[in-house]
Amino acid sequence: MAEVALRNIKKIYTDNETNKHRKSLFRKREEAGEKRSYNLQVTDEGVVAVQEFNLDIKDKEFIVLVGPSGCGKSTTLRMIAGLEEITSGELYIDGKLVNNVEPKDRDIAMVFQSYALYPHMTVYDNMAYSLKIKKVPKDEIDRKVREAAEILDITQYLDRKPKALSGGQRQRVAIGRAIVRNPKVLLMDEPLSNLDAKLRNQMRSELIKLRKRINTTFVYVTHDQVEAMTLGDRIVVMKDGYIQQIGTPQEVFDHPANMFVSGFIGTPQMNYFDGRLTVRDGRYFVETKGYEVELAEDKQARLKEHNVEEQEVTLGIRPEHLFITNKGIKGNVDVSELMGSSLHLHMTVGDSDVIIIVPTEGAKIDYSGRELEIGFNGKVAHVFSKKDQHNLEY
Amino acid sequence: MKKDLNKSAGIKLFISRVVVYGILIFLSFLCLFFFYLMFVNASRSNAQLQAGFTLIPGGNALKNFVNAWHDTNISIPIGMKNSFIVASLSAILTSYFSALTAYGTYVYDFRFKKVIHLFILAIMMIPSQVSAVGFIQLAFKYHLTNKLWMLIIPSIAAPSVYFYMRQYLEATLPLEMVEAARIDGSNEFKIFNQIVLPIMKPAIAVQMIFSFVGSWNNYFMPALLLNDIQKKTVPVMIATLRSADFTKFDMGKVYMLMVMAILPVMVIYVILSKSIIKGVTSGSVKG
Repeated sequence: MAEVALRNIKKIYTDNETNKHRKSLFRKREEAGEKRSYNLQVTDEGVVAVQEFNLDIKDKEFIVLVGPSGCGKSTTLRMIAGLEEITSGELYIDGKLVNNVEPKDRDIAMVFQSYALYPHMTVYDNMAYSLKIKKVPKDEIDRKVREAAEILDITQYLDRKPKALSGGQRQRVAIGRAIVRNPKVLLMDEPLSNLDAKLRNQMRSELIKLRKRINTTFVYVTHDQVEAMTLGDRIVVMKDGYIQQIGTPQEVFDHPANMFVSGFIGTPQMNYFDGRLTVRDGRYFVETKGYEVELAEDKQARLKEHNVEEQEVTLGIRPEHLFITNKGIKGNVDVSELMGSSLHLHMTVGDSDVIIIVPTEGAKIDYSGRELEIGFNGKVAHVFSKKDQHNLEY
Repeated sequence: MKKDLNKSAGIKLFISRVVVYGILIFLSFLCLFFFYLMFVNASRSNAQLQAGFTLIPGGNALKNFVNAWHDTNISIPIGMKNSFIVASLSAILTSYFSALTAYGTYVYDFRFKKVIHLFILAIMMIPSQVSAVGFIQLAFKYHLTNKLWMLIIPSIAAPSVYFYMRQYLEATLPLEMVEAARIDGSNEFKIFNQIVLPIMKPAIAVQMIFSFVGSWNNYFMPALLLNDIQKKTVPVMIATLRSADFTKFDMGKVYMLMVMAILPVMVIYVILSKSIIKGVTSGSVKG
């Protein structure tokens, strides 16, 4: 029920004792030439976790922050919650600057990865706690708690302690605790990652249903791209403290801004080929390993718009967009995985690994060990700059 | 052949059990025998006690009790009351404030946090007898002797209790829970009192028992600070009886007073033994 705006948000973990230790660790590793697991910037002020973060979250929008661990997504969420100080930049909730407002006065609720339920209280008391603090009248608390319990289907557990609940039920209680307050913004920090795969799928669809029932703004953090794609109105892909791309799931999937986004969103991962972008008679062609296609019209237009010149590029093609053909790129099938309705073929093409998805169509062909030729068409080829890995169309 | 193997394994098991039980019985005997002896002695007269020791209870228990009760140098009800006030107040305050300190250094980030933590732990290494000298001088200089709160207040600062609480917190309190409470709108003190304290209940129970017993049995400080009969605690009174002049010295009376002194502690242990065991092992295994 509120808009959230983040303006040029930056977070530096400053020099308190723990971070001094972290910083020296980073430096030592750097000096030793060791490749860091993630490229957080180390400055004299400290370790930069998030920077240049600009985002306008619309009222009642479901925003998903997604990225690998250490990309700053949780830090961003915690800054919105007020659990982490904002080093610089401005955070507005409902048009009000809240940089220095206590979490309790921001009218937000948060669901934690570990649920963080109060173990000594019953489910009812866990859910009622925030209302009790606000000194809401007892009968109203009762009404609200029961209403939320109804929505989440946990009415029969209201008298139990969290210890007596399963993981999925605890997760519901944690969500219930957040929604009883009718918060302006509901923050969720990887709420499903402690659940097993089956339960996760189930809870995911329930979150979609829940979202329709409670009208509020959601900010959801996950490292799981499937969750991001299925839940978000828009997703924000992050890496190393920077936003890589903001867009609807479809936009991010179809038009990834750079190689990182293209690789992060979509399973199995996108395949990459070294190739060349050529221009003939004002038309753009891509070529790799002797296989050449003309790019589709929309891509032609966008490349033209940016005056892209001939150059060496990285071609990105999703596994489902590669097909078997007579005249294409030669490769050997190493492993063939039957996924039910389709086959995933793991191939070696030149010196790179390629995955291609082919429909099984009833006939079970054993591809393993065979030499195949694969191809793609001009609609699905993504062209990335060799220099800075950004998508040349944008 | 197989039967033989079974047989020898059975014998081995039997022998090892005999050894283990033997050791356990011996240790139990060491622990319990002196309690038994104290009860026996409390029921014997001074003359019988002088004559030598026996394992058979005598018939003088009631007389010893009456003698102890009416001794003019001491007053059992007052001693019990004083001991109870000192022990219970210092148990409650010690565990509450140690938990609060532990919570402070665990949850909050501030400058010199580590230094403070280490400083508190370093105090553990200083025996109380060392700091007692200065403390007693201070008490005499400002005429603070014969005041029970002089025993209670200093006991609040208990590094070992703090350390225990801190370890317990590290094992049981996720910081996310504190953050959740903050978002729920709780202020910092409420978070501690309503969320953290209940979670720490087992640890607090254990430390309260230990510090209650420690304070109840404490002789050193009270003996130095208290000489007014109205303010003496039970252990000081036992010492008073023991040092009474030779003609009035009655061992039976002293033993009876000792029995009365340890009875409350024994009752506490019997009632709370389950939670003591739970508390001692908790934190070691993360549930």
